[in-house]
Amino acid sequence: MHIVVCVKQVPDTTEVKVNPETGTLIREGVPSIINPFDQFAIEEGLRLRDKVGGEVTVISMGPPQAKAVILLGLALGADRGILLTDRAFAGADTLSTAYTLSKAIQKLGKVDLVLCGMQAVDGDTAQVGPGLASTLKIPQIAYAETLEVKEGKVRARRTMEDYIEVVETRLPALCTMTTPSNFVPTDPPFSKITKAKKKPYAEWTAEAIGADPGRLGLKGSPTWVKKVYSAQTKEKAIIIKGSADETVAKLVEILKKEHFL
Amino acid sequence: MEEWFFTEEQQMYRESLRKHLAKLITAKVVEHMEETREIPKETIKGMADFELSCPLVSEEYGGAGIDLVTAGIIGEEIGRADPTGSTAVYFLVPAAWSRMIFLYGTKKAKEELLPQMTKGTIWCGIATTEADTGSDLGSMKTTISPTEGGYLVKGAKTYISGVREASTMGGGHVTLARQTLDKGVRGCTLFYLPLKDTPGIKIFQDREMGREGISTGGFHIDNVKIPKHYMIGEENKGFYIVHEGYEAARGIIACVCSGAALKALENAIAYVKERKAFGQPLARYQGIQFPLAEHWSRMMMVRDWAYKALRIMQQEKEKKATRFETSQAIAMAKLWAPLWAFDAINFAMQVQGAYGYSLECTEQKSLRAIRSFGWAEGTSEVMRLIVARELLGKDHKGY
Amino acid sequence: MLKVKDSCTGCGKCEKTCPFGAIKVENKKAAVQDNCNLCGGCVQVCPFDSLELERKVEKKDFTNYTGLWVYTEVKADGTVRNATLELLSKGNELAKELGQDLCAVLLGSNVGELAGVLASYGAKRIYLVDEPELKEYNTDAYSTIIIGLITKHKPNIVIIPATPLGRDLAPRIASTLEVGLTADCTGLSIMDGLLLQTRPAFGGNIMADILSPNTRPQMATVRPNVMKMAEPVEGARCEVVREKVSVEPGLLRVKVVERTRTSMPGEKNIDEADMIVSGGRGACDEGDLKLIEELAKVMGAAVGCSRAVVDLGIKPKSHQVGQSGKTVSPKLYLVAGVSGAIQHLVGMKSSDVIIAINKDPDASIFQVAKYGIIGDLYEILPKLTEAIKRERGL
Repeated sequence: MHIVVCVKQVPDTTEVKVNPETGTLIREGVPSIINPFDQFAIEEGLRLRDKVGGEVTVISMGPPQAKAVILLGLALGADRGILLTDRAFAGADTLSTAYTLSKAIQKLGKVDLVLCGMQAVDGDTAQVGPGLASTLKIPQIAYAETLEVKEGKVRARRTMEDYIEVVETRLPALCTMTTPSNFVPTDPPFSKITKAKKKPYAEWTAEAIGADPGRLGLKGSPTWVKKVYSAQTKEKAIIIKGSADETVAKLVEILKKEHFL
Repeated sequence: MEEWFFTEEQQMYRESLRKHLAKLITAKVVEHMEETREIPKETIKGMADFELSCPLVSEEYGGAGIDLVTAGIIGEEIGRADPTGSTAVYFLVPAAWSRMIFLYGTKKAKEELLPQMTKGTIWCGIATTEADTGSDLGSMKTTISPTEGGYLVKGAKTYISGVREASTMGGGHVTLARQTLDKGVRGCTLFYLPLKDTPGIKIFQDREMGREGISTGGFHIDNVKIPKHYMIGEENKGFYIVHEGYEAARGIIACVCSGAALKALENAIAYVKERKAFGQPLARYQGIQFPLAEHWSRMMMVRDWAYKALRIMQQEKEKKATRFETSQAIAMAKLWAPLWAFDAINFAMQVQGAYGYSLECTEQKSLRAIRSFGWAEGTSEVMRLIVARELLGKDHKGY
Repeated sequence: MLKVKDSCTGCGKCEKTCPFGAIKVENKKAAVQDNCNLCGGCVQVCPFDSLELERKVEKKDFTNYTGLWVYTEVKADGTVRNATLELLSKGNELAKELGQDLCAVLLGSNVGELAGVLASYGAKRIYLVDEPELKEYNTDAYSTIIIGLITKHKPNIVIIPATPLGRDLAPRIASTLEVGLTADCTGLSIMDGLLLQTRPAFGGNIMADILSPNTRPQMATVRPNVMKMAEPVEGARCEVVREKVSVEPGLLRVKVVERTRTSMPGEKNIDEADMIVSGGRGACDEGDLKLIEELAKVMGAAVGCSRAVVDLGIKPKSHQVGQSGKTVSPKLYLVAGVSGAIQHLVGMKSSDVIIAINKDPDASIFQVAKYGIIGDLYEILPKLTEAIKRERGL
C-alpha cells in the first residue's frame, strides 16, 4: 500500500507577535515547526504501513528550508521524501496549492491513501485537503481521528457537531486528520535521524511535475489578500482583588449591572 | 543561523532532543529529585529509550555510535533541561567511561558489560579519587596485585559519583589502582570493579550541595577479587589511557556548563524585561546590560570552544590532530566553562534579588550543580597546568 | 463542456452516478445529454479517466452572475442551525446593498417545510433538492448536486457556515469550480461591488481582508456565532425552486458504518448558549469540573472548557472552546482556571462580556477580559454559586 502524507512547515503561531505600529507579523526569531496536525498524519500513516505493509512518502510544497519537515518525516520512519520547491509556487492560495500537490501526487504513480493534517495553524483554512481530494478525483473523509485499512477500504472514526460516526470508503481516498487528545508527538532519536539522511529525497520544480504555469502561485490563486492588520486590541480589563467574600460581592454587582442576573 | 560546527543531522537531533528532554525532565521530576535525592525510574527509562545510555559505544554493542561532538550536544541540552545537574552527571559519567571499556577493554568484558550499559540497565562510573588523593594520582593508596585467576584489589575510593546506582541497579566503576608501588603513575593499572553484590565492597554515601538526584560517596575495597578479563588496557599502563576518559568527560562537562549558564541567562533576560524598578524595566539599566553582555559573550565563546575541543578529540582518533592539541583544547574548555558558568548563573540569581535565593529559583539550583564541575573530572588548577605544559613544554612542567 | 474521450468503454458507471440523468450509455459509449450542468460527479468516478470537464470561465464579464446564496445546514433534530440564520441575516444586508436576491440552498429529505423559517430571515428564493437519499449529509452527493445548481443558476456569491460540515463541503465545491474560497470569515462587506471577506490568521494574531475578483461565484465560509441574527419576519413568503435529482448509489462513495448521537436533547449546546461558564486545567484539581458545572446550573448557562480538560477525559470534545474546538461568542463568558493560551483565546475572545478568574495576575486571559478577578477559584466559585442561588431565590 502506498500512503502519501502532505505536510507543511509553519511558523510556531504560539510564538508569533504582531508589530503594533504596522499591524504586520514579526516573523524574526519565530521558529519554524512542522504543522502539528501533519505530524499526527505522518505517525498515523506509519502505523498503517506497519500494520498492512507498504510505503509512506512524505511530500511538502514550500521554500528550500521546508526540507526540514521532510527530513523529520523521514526520521519518524517514512520511506521517501519529496519537496516541491520553485519560485513559481510562491503566493499560492489553497486552490493553487491543492493543484500543485495533485500534480506531484499524480507523478508518484500508484497512490492508495493520501493523508493531510486537518488544517495548517498559520492559514487555518482546512481547504487544501478537500481541494486536493477533489482535484485527484478521490473521495474524502475529513476530521478523521483514527484509521483502519482492510480489504481495499479505509475506515475512519470522527466527531461531528451532533454525533460521532464511523465512515468507510474504497481506496484510493484522502483523509484529513485531527489529532486525538492524548497525542504526544514523537521526537526521533539519533539513530533515526542518521537513517533519515540515507533515504531517498528529491526536490521537484514546477517543470518536473508538468504543472500549468497559469495555475501556480499568485497567478493561479483566485483569492487575493487585500490587506493584513493586527486584530483589535481590547480595552484593559477592570481588575478586582481582595478576599473571596469581597470578590464575590463585587461579582454579583457586575452580573447585575450587565443584566445577567 | 546554522551552527558551523554541526552537521545537518546534529542540528535536527538537537531540536528533537530539546523537545524530548522538555517532556522527560519536567518541573515535577526536578521536585522529585530534590525531595527523594533520586532520579525517577521513568526518567531513567525515558533516557535509555531515547538512546542516551552510553551512546559513544558502537552499534555492535547496542550503543548509538555517536561521535564526541554529538555527545557534547546531549550534554548541553541536558544542562539546559535539568537545573539540578543530576541527569547530566547520570549521562556523562557512563558515557565517557563506558567508552574506555569499549576502546581498551577485553573482548570478554565488552560482550559481558557493554550491551547492558547501552541498554541503561547497569551503571558505569569512574573511581580514581581517594580520601588523601585527588589530583596527585601517583600517591594513591589503593593497590591491585595479580593473583590466581585474576587480581586482588585493596583500598578505598571517595567522592565517587554513582555508588548507589552501581551497587543497587548493577554496574561498577572504571577504577585506577597502583600495581607497581615504586613507579608512581607509571605503575598504575586501570580496571573494571563491579559494585553490586561484590563481597568485600562496602559503600557509603555523602550528602552534597547539589546534583541531588545522583549519589556521591565512596567504597571500601577489602581484598576484592576481580577476574582477569576486567583489565582495561595493560597492567601498569593505566595512567597512559585514563586521560581519554577524563577528556571525554571534561569536554561534555564544558557543554553542560554552557547549556546551564545560557539557560540561566535566558531566564534572567525574561525576568529583567518584566520586572520594574524606579519606573522602568530593569533591562533598561546599563548596570544590568553590561554584565549581561559580558556573561553572554563568554558563555557563547566557551560553548563554541567546547565543541571545537570535542571535535579535535574526535579528529585525534582519525589521526588528524595530535594528543597535545586535544589535551590542551579540552583543558581550556574545562578550565573556563565551569568558572564562567558559575559567574553567569550567579549574576542571573542576583538580578532576581531575594527570589534568587529561594529554593524555588531555578538559578539557585543550577549554581549548586555547576559548582561541582570546578573539581569533577579534574580541577580547574590541573587544567591550568595542562594548558601551560602544552605551551611551555615538558621541561617546565609545574608539577 | 463535458467531453467523452476515446478511452471510454461504455461501462456505465457515470450513468449510475449522475444525479441529473444527464449522461447515458448509447452504443457502448457515454453520451452527454442536453441537461448536463457540469457538476462533475461522473468525472470523479470514471475508472478509465475518460471524462474531461472544460469550464469556460468567462473572465471579467460576470454580469450574468447574480444572487447571494446561503447554504442551509439542518441539525440532527430537523431544525435549521443558527449559523445559517446568522448568514441569512448578514446576507440580507449584503444582497440589499448589491441589489441582488438573497437565496437559500436546501438539501435533505422532507425539508420543504423549512422554507418558512428561511424566508422569515430574508430568503427570497429557495433552491430545494428533496430526496430520501439526502436525509444524511454526504460529501459527494451534496457537493455534486450543489455544483450542478451553481453552474446552472450562476450565483454571484455563495456563503456557507464554517461548521465541520461546511468546511468539508465548501472546499470540495470551490476546488471543482476552480473559484476562490475564503475560510472562517468573521466579517463580510461589499467593496467596489465585490465581497470583501475578513478573517483571522496565524492563530488569531492577525486579520486579513480578502477578495476574489476574477472568479464566480465568490465563496466564503463564515464562522458561527459572529454574525448577528436578525429579528425574523413572521409570515414571510418566498419562491421555491425544486430541482429533481436521482441520487444514484455510484455517487455515494463514502458510507456511514455507524453513528452515535452525542448532543443530548435538553443539554445546552455551547454554540447556541447566551451564557457560558468555562473551566480550564486550573479548575480540575479534584479530577472533575463540578465547581464550574454547579455555577453554570444556577446561572442557566452552558458549560465550556479548554482543551486540557478534554485531554484529561473530564469533558467530551463538544464542550471544548478553542482553535481545535468551537468558537463561541455568547453574551457572557465566565472563565476560571484558564491561563489564556492563544489557542483558547481564539475560540472565545469575541464574546460580549468576558469575566476571568485566575490566581496569576499575569495570565494572558486578562488581556481579553472585561473584568479580571485575581483570586482562588476554589474559594470564589462556591461562594459565587451560593450568592447567585440567594439572588435568584433558588
